Parts: sequence; C-alpha cells; structure tokens
Amino acid sequence: MKGGHTVSLQIVVNGLATGSVYALIATGFSLIFNVLKFSNFSHGALMTLSAFAGYFIAAQRGLGLIPTVLVAMVTGALVALAGEFIAFRRITLHNTSPVYFFVSSITLGTMFEGIVTVKVGANFYNYPQFFQNATIKLGNVVISTSDLLMFCCSAVALLVLAYIIQKTRVGRGLRSVSFDRDTASLMGIDVTRTIQFTFLVSGALAGLAGVFLGINYTLYPTLGSLVVKGFIASVIGGLGSLSGAIIGAVLLGLIETLSISMVGSGYTPVITFLLMLVFLLVRPSGIAGSNIQEKA
Amino acid sequence: MALYLSIFTQILITIVAVSGVYVLTGLTGMFSLGQAAFMAVGSYASGILVVKLGVPFPLACVLAVIIAVAIGYVVGFPTVRLRRDYISLVTLGFGEAITALLNRATKLTGGASGFIGIPKKTTFLMALLSAIAAIALVSWFKTSKYGRQCIAVRSDELAAKAMGINVPKVKMTAFLFSVAVTAFSGCLYAFYITYVDPTIFGWKKSADWVIMVFFGGVNSLTGSVAGAFILSGLPELLRSLDQYRSIIYAILVLLIINFKPSGIFGEWELTFGNLKKLGSRRSRKALKEGKN
Repeated sequence: MKGGHTVSLQIVVNGLATGSVYALIATGFSLIFNVLKFSNFSHGALMTLSAFAGYFIAAQRGLGLIPTVLVAMVTGALVALAGEFIAFRRITLHNTSPVYFFVSSITLGTMFEGIVTVKVGANFYNYPQFFQNATIKLGNVVISTSDLLMFCCSAVALLVLAYIIQKTRVGRGLRSVSFDRDTASLMGIDVTRTIQFTFLVSGALAGLAGVFLGINYTLYPTLGSLVVKGFIASVIGGLGSLSGAIIGAVLLGLIETLSISMVGSGYTPVITFLLMLVFLLVRPSGIAGSNIQEKA
Repeated sequence: MALYLSIFTQILITIVAVSGVYVLTGLTGMFSLGQAAFMAVGSYASGILVVKLGVPFPLACVLAVIIAVAIGYVVGFPTVRLRRDYISLVTLGFGEAITALLNRATKLTGGASGFIGIPKKTTFLMALLSAIAAIALVSWFKTSKYGRQCIAVRSDELAAKAMGINVPKVKMTAFLFSVAVTAFSGCLYAFYITYVDPTIFGWKKSADWVIMVFFGGVNSLTGSVAGAFILSGLPELLRSLDQYRSIIYAILVLLIINFKPSGIFGEWELTFGNLKKLGSRRSRKALKEGKN
C-alpha cells in the first residue's frame, strides 16, 4: 500500500513538472490569441529557433544554464517582434480578414523551421549536463533537478506575467486592446506598441519553454511540434483565457504522466486527443468558461 | 521521360488533395492542420484492405474514403459548432494522434518503418482522370447551393446564420467533402509510391497545402490548382536549392499575403466566358494601341 502512495506521488510530481512547461507554451500562445484573436502557429517553430540559439550562442561555449536561458529568451522576444513586423503588421493595420493571420503564422512557422533546418540539418543535439546532481531525493520521491528548476522557473515567469498584466500600466493597456482594439486606440493607447509588447513577452516565454523542452528531450528541428500540447492545454482551459491555459496545462501534464505510466508513451497522444474531444463536447468553453465568439 | 511522368503523376495527386483543401479553406474559411492525416487514413486503410484482406482496389478506395469520412465526422462533430480556430487546433491534435497510432500499431501498419508491399495500381492516366474529376466535382460544389452557403459562412458567419443557413451543417458538409477528396488522394498516393510511412503525413504537409491554396488565390479554384501545380513542381526545378525550399516558399507567400492578399488569381476562374472576356479585352487594347 505504501508503495502505491509513493508511485502516485511520483506521478503527481512529474506531472506538475511537465505541466509547468506546457503552461509556458500555452500562455505564450494564449497571450497572442487574447490580443489579436488568432491562433499563432509560428509559436512552436519560434521555440525551436530560440532553443537552438541558446545552444549555439551560450551552451556550446560552456556557459551555464542561466546564460543559455537568457539568450534563448532574448532571441525569442526579438524574433517574435521581427515576425510581427514581417507577417502581421499589415494585416492588423488594414483590418484584412482574420484568416490571413492564420496563413501568415503558418508561413512564418515554416520559415523559422526552414532556417533551423538549414543551420543544423536533421541532426539531434543535446544540451550539456547543467547540473552536478541529476536528481534530488525528497522522502520517497525522486525529483530530477531539471524538473524542479523547470517548475520553479515557470512559476516565477507566470507570476511575473500575471503581475505585469494585472497591476502595471502596460498590462492594463494590453487588456484593453484585447477587449476592443478600436476603442482602446481612441482612448489614447498606442495599439501597435501594445501588440509589439505582447509579441515580445510571448516570444520570451517561447524561448524559455524551448530551452526546457530541449533539456527534457533533445534538440531537433521539429521540436516545435510539441507546441500541440500547449494548444490542447489552452483548448481544455478555454481558448483565450490565461488562467484557463495554466490550469489546462497542469491538468494535461498530470493526465499525460498518468497515461504514460499506464498505457505507455506510444498511445498517449491518442488519449490526450480523445480527452480534448470529450472536453469540447461537454464543456466547449473550457475550464475557465470564457468562450470568445467569432466577431461579426 | 519516365522521370517527368512520375513527377507529373505526383503533382496530379497533390492537385486532388489540394482541391479538397480548397473546399475547406477557400470556400468555407476553415483551416485543417490534420488534412494530411486524413490522407494517411486513406492510404493506410486502402493499403491494408488490399494487401491484408485481398479486397479489390476500387472497392478498397471506396471503403477507405468511407472510413476517413466516418473518422472525420467524429473529429468534426464537437468542433463545427465552435469558433473556427477550434477546427485547426483539433485537427492538429488529430494529426499527432494518428501519427502516434500508426507508429504504435505495428502489426497492422508496420509501425515507424512503414507499410510496404502495396501493389502499384495508380497510373498517370488514372491520376490525370482523378484530378480532372476532383476539380470538376469541386467546381460543381462551388456553384451549387452548398458552395454558395459555404461562401456565405466564410464571409460572415453571423449574417449567414441570420439568413437561415444552418452554419454547423454547412461547415460539416464542407469538412466531410474535403476529407473524402483528400482521403481519395491518399489511396492514389499509396498505390503509386507502393510504400507509406507515418512521417510524411505530418502537419507540415497540411500547412503546405494551405499555403498552395493561398498562393494561387483563396477565392479561386483555378488559382488553388495553379498554386498546387507551381509549388509542387517548383522543388523539382530547384533540386539544388532543396534546403532553402521552405524558406523561399515562405517568403513568396508572405509577400503575396502582405501585398496581394487575394493571391495570384484573385477571384478569377478559368471558364469559357472569362477567357473570351480576357481575349476581347486584349484585342481592344491592341486596337487602342494601334490607333495611337
């Protein structure tokens, strides 16, 4: 009986760690969804790009974890900003149909991935070992150091984000732009600047998530396809809701870990997909219950 | 010659798939990132039916399309009532699930090493006829009552609803129709290449198809087919630039979206009437220039 407890506790701990990375992905995605009302499919490729930037600029030169993370976050933020300028600026300004956002973001993602592939080919890379002790033992539960770090970093990043959005001036601007772009601009909010800020933050989150995914798995050019976990998490949590995205991500992490321990990792994507379908049937507005209707 | 024939056959199969995507994306304004996964369902289902169960090829194609449509119904049912973003997210998840399933169900699908030993049944002529049939079917759909309802839903869902159009039903019809066409292209593909493996049906392929539709012109079937033809033929010409292919594509498409959002062809369709108009405009222009 005692053994069973330890196993389930272990699953909870692993699930929380996985879920915290998914939460980073899901919030980065939801932020843009919130402000521009479209699904940003370049998010995954951006994660890959910044994770590789972290690898080549910092980790390969033997700099530690913190410089790697910083380089990845800065790269992510700057590339997202550039992407906004190349792919989305004109669509926002001309108020063209939102479908173009979709195509633009897919195309941008293809381009990022293409750039990574040109640089690294189809090879796999590994971040160097960042920690001396790979695991920490707490009672009966073994926590890998990277999991613990992932959890803490994600929690800090999300708390900072929540503070910025809820308490600061620029965060208030962001919320008002997400509520109604035209009215916000009439109230004297610089909409373009706010959108740029959103992309900066979302890119930085993508960089952070990219490095953690790279540590957890390996670095490869299609690493970004893991972004689908973030998408599923935000659908479960309620599309466009930040807190919903975080709850959905943690839930998804727990369920995934549980499912891996029960049916193996092969069938887990099938289970999470079915779970998403069930969620859409039963509660299409997600856990947070904020259902954004298509605007007329 | 054989090389060109093979390239052309593959382009034609892509055109079949893209005409399915056109119904979904061009007409209805929905994006499926799991469209290639439905192609995978078509390929694998028809392949397994023929190789393992000895079903004749034409019947296997029909059954494969039916299976794909049934799966499409399950995927579409919860999603068509919701905002259009959901269908892209859900189909993306579907693609991942199908890839995992194909990799995992080794006994049936051969797993990650692929499903081999499919007899070669697709010929150039067959691909050509299928492409013509698919294009004809889609253009008929476009001008039919359903097609016009789809266009109404794409332009303004709320207004379409107010006009008494059953929006979820229209979305579902378009989705299933496109799934059927794409699954059929999967059958053609499997029986042409004689080998399928899970990696070629990722979301990348679905995204490529969407890009082809937008490249040619999202409102024009002619444009979508031309886009499919150009963009799937281009890599054969640019063999040496293979690495840069996706970057070149991306830049082209970003330019088009930014500066000519309606695509190369806009709303122009290749019909006899339009050709005549084009001809007369040109002759009028020539006349004018002659006067000057």
